[in-house]
Amino acid sequence: MTRSALYRWFRQFRRQAKPDSYGGVTVKARSIYILPTKQGLLLAVVLLAMLVGSINYGSNLGHLATFLLGGIWITTILHTWRNLLGLRLQPQYVDAVFAGESADFCLSLINPSNLDRFAITLKQKKNFGDSLDIPNNEQLPIHLPLVSKKRGLFKLPQITLHTTYPLGLFHAWTYAEIDLSCLVYPKPAERGDPPVTESYTKSSSGDRGVGSDDFVGLRTFRTGDSPKQIDWKAYARQQGLMSKQFGGDRHLEITLDWDLIPEQEPERRLSLLCRFILQQEELRHAYAMKIPGLSIASGLGSGHMQKCLSALARYGLADADR
Amino acid sequence: MQIADHSLTARQHLLVSLCAGFAIAPHTLHVPLPISLFLIFLFVWRLTALRYPQFQPGRWLLVLTTLGGVILTFSQYHTLIGRDAGVGLLTVMMILKILEVRRRQDLYVAVFISYFVIITHFLFDQSMVMALYLFSVMVCLTALLIEINRIKPSATTLEPFVRTAIITLQAIPIAIVLFVIFPRLSQPLWNLGIGSSGTTGLSDRMTPGQIAELIESPEVAFRVSFVTEAPAAEQRYWRGLVIWDTDGHSWFNRKDQVRERHMQLKAHGEHSYEVFLEAHQQRWLYALDVPVSSKQRFRLSQDLILQRREPVRQSLTYQVRSTTEQQNKVVMPGMLQRALELPDNVTQRQFELVEGWRANAKSPREIVELALSHFNKQPFVYTLTPPRYLDNPIDQFLFNAQEGFCEHYATSFTQLMRIAGIPTRLVLGYQGGEYNELGDYFIIRQYDAHAWTEVWLEESGWLRVDPTAAVAPERIRFQLRNDFGTEGSPAMFQLDELGLVGSNLRRFAHMLDNANIQWRRWIIGYSREHQFSLMRNFGFDTLTPLQWSLITIGLIAVPLLLVALRLVLSGRKQPLPEIIAYDRFCKKLARQGISRKTYEGPMDYAKRAIGERPDLTAPISRITALYIKVRYGPNADKSQSKRLLQQVRQFRPGRQKPGT
Repeated sequence: MTRSALYRWFRQFRRQAKPDSYGGVTVKARSIYILPTKQGLLLAVVLLAMLVGSINYGSNLGHLATFLLGGIWITTILHTWRNLLGLRLQPQYVDAVFAGESADFCLSLINPSNLDRFAITLKQKKNFGDSLDIPNNEQLPIHLPLVSKKRGLFKLPQITLHTTYPLGLFHAWTYAEIDLSCLVYPKPAERGDPPVTESYTKSSSGDRGVGSDDFVGLRTFRTGDSPKQIDWKAYARQQGLMSKQFGGDRHLEITLDWDLIPEQEPERRLSLLCRFILQQEELRHAYAMKIPGLSIASGLGSGHMQKCLSALARYGLADADR
Repeated sequence: MQIADHSLTARQHLLVSLCAGFAIAPHTLHVPLPISLFLIFLFVWRLTALRYPQFQPGRWLLVLTTLGGVILTFSQYHTLIGRDAGVGLLTVMMILKILEVRRRQDLYVAVFISYFVIITHFLFDQSMVMALYLFSVMVCLTALLIEINRIKPSATTLEPFVRTAIITLQAIPIAIVLFVIFPRLSQPLWNLGIGSSGTTGLSDRMTPGQIAELIESPEVAFRVSFVTEAPAAEQRYWRGLVIWDTDGHSWFNRKDQVRERHMQLKAHGEHSYEVFLEAHQQRWLYALDVPVSSKQRFRLSQDLILQRREPVRQSLTYQVRSTTEQQNKVVMPGMLQRALELPDNVTQRQFELVEGWRANAKSPREIVELALSHFNKQPFVYTLTPPRYLDNPIDQFLFNAQEGFCEHYATSFTQLMRIAGIPTRLVLGYQGGEYNELGDYFIIRQYDAHAWTEVWLEESGWLRVDPTAAVAPERIRFQLRNDFGTEGSPAMFQLDELGLVGSNLRRFAHMLDNANIQWRRWIIGYSREHQFSLMRNFGFDTLTPLQWSLITIGLIAVPLLLVALRLVLSGRKQPLPEIIAYDRFCKKLARQGISRKTYEGPMDYAKRAIGERPDLTAPISRITALYIKVRYGPNADKSQSKRLLQQVRQFRPGRQKPGT
């Protein structure tokens, strides 16, 4: 049996709270694990030393003090366990991010009981979320920032809800699977010019960069642009070399087309498309997008951008994952 | 796995220093002065550094201070092991730990060391007051741990203490179970080398004037609780040790004369009692004259002294049987010779005095009586503050001053009888004792210390003779009053003629002492023997380790389960009474085929129900209106929810059929 197979075999015994119909998790008595912390073990050693000392000196009061602390040590197990029991974790929202950025998963931690809860921490492997005290019958927002790795749907991994309250001697935790996914757009490629199919339509708002009558906007510098065309002020603002565009009364419609991108690798294509979308938004030029199986009509603005980026993010994913 | 390491606040720093300071504080009284000063200095340093951080020592200074602390400890004790040096080192190390607390981790270590320091105090002081003090310190330390484990500080100072109290109360049953059942050893695991510290009490060398010093101390020597009926005051002679030899000044036992051999008296003692002895650093144990046997199988020497192998360094509880009948005929070879030995400084006038009695007496018994009447008739004064007899005390006492205390009478009488050829020995112990009605026991204090004599008479064996009784019989029947007149004034005796205030005061004192004795009996004195007798009460003769473990686990599991149950139930919400009532209303309607949908509010539900059962319009709308008013309306009170419940109870939709 290989190591990973062994791990899978072991995992079946692992108690884990599955999301209910609301996508959240309520911590059940049997899904809580509990082990002593470093401090808990240290106190156990100290208690042992106290016991040996008491036995040796035949000190009954020493015995009593040791046993009282021992009793507290044991009772703390229950208190730590109780501190988690019955808590509810409810998914709230998560904003879409570009691959490689940190996704801020927002959840709410609900304490439906009449007992106050303290120092509840949310974490996922090495990533720590907030630690909170939750008074009885309250609910508090919790943020868990996780770095997204690749484009697509970033499902909130199994998270751990943990606490060491009241004495820090025991560490109680529970694994919770929350139904919350973050949409991850492709990582934008480096700046560059989109290979575009240009179609001119007559438009009251004019065209872009073809005529030379009116200033219509800026675009990135291309070799061969006259130095007169360069927007030196923008360069001084460190926005890169930009060329001023002048146009007439025709409107240029840009379509960002999957098929026109010379590079073959799909993820690379998606990255480039993503960058082009951002550039178009920056320039405030309307754009349409065409990827296999989907074409989005020309538009501009955050709603349109999100639509396009989402399409890129979801490209090629199995339907179930969409 | 630690919560995001939030460092400690200034307040938490101050609190941990204070709590740990409280935990150490009592030790400053018994560690040597330089160490005490070192502790106080470092503590003040710490407090200063908390206020002015520039004084916080750097790493090298800390290392140097630590080294200094170790050297200081070693220079004081010349060792680093053993009880006293160990405690000295522990306190020094702990105060150094406090000095360098920075992170949460350090705080835990400081608190845990404080816990340990707490139990070391019990090596020096086991009183109830000390235990209460240390218990409070322990609670403070625990409350501190709870406080640093929350994210936001508590709203009130009381809050962490309330939580600590809850946890501690839940831990107490476990502690009691473990305390009762955990096996006690009769021997320590290894040699402890406990140093003996000076304690008041009788010593095995008696110089006249020594007991008179004890008389000033109201300290408790031991307490006695009789199982059988207690003997009268004049019979309550508490035998401590027997002294045979004298050099004319002091009385002692010569070491070379081995006289310890275990002996067994056949007699059945008619007095059975329990003694709660305070530590007196000696090996002999006090028992009612004459001890016959002890439950603990202590040795009984030839001169009927109960003895232990080890000196009594901690308070001790033991059970003895004694007889007050004088049937003490034990005599060993050489014993009588020894009881006749005289010092070199016996004077001519002593011989003459004794010669006079011998001429008039027919038997040794009569000589004894003549001697006693001599003490009685001559102007002897019984005083607590006799003059100091430096040179030949017996002679000076008998013929010059004639003022003395029990020891003077006992020693002179012993010597005179030896001159007369009657074997005599001196007995040291206590006499009388104060009765505590509340706890039904006697308190024997240092000022009850007494010395008397035993003479050997052919016909009766060793016979107790108390010459003091001949001079001051009140001494034997009443309590000595603990106030001292000028030198030479006759001793006063306490008669039971106390005023109202006095008797109440005494009652209160007895109450305190009773609490103390119960503390001693059940907590400090709890022993292997108690454990065995308790086990026998439950029908176990011996327990195998397995049985013992199972019983322990079982007994701990019960309180733990109760705590778990309580914890789970305590957070559970009791639904509001109006909700209970409304639920019942819905159930009643559901039985009629009109069940409430999950999305339906009370008003919609009522509308639908009325539509289906127009005959129930009045009760349904009344109940629904009242429910909405109680549940959501302003100024709802309890009487209204009660009314709602009543209406629901009266609501019987099944009785009226639709259309009838």
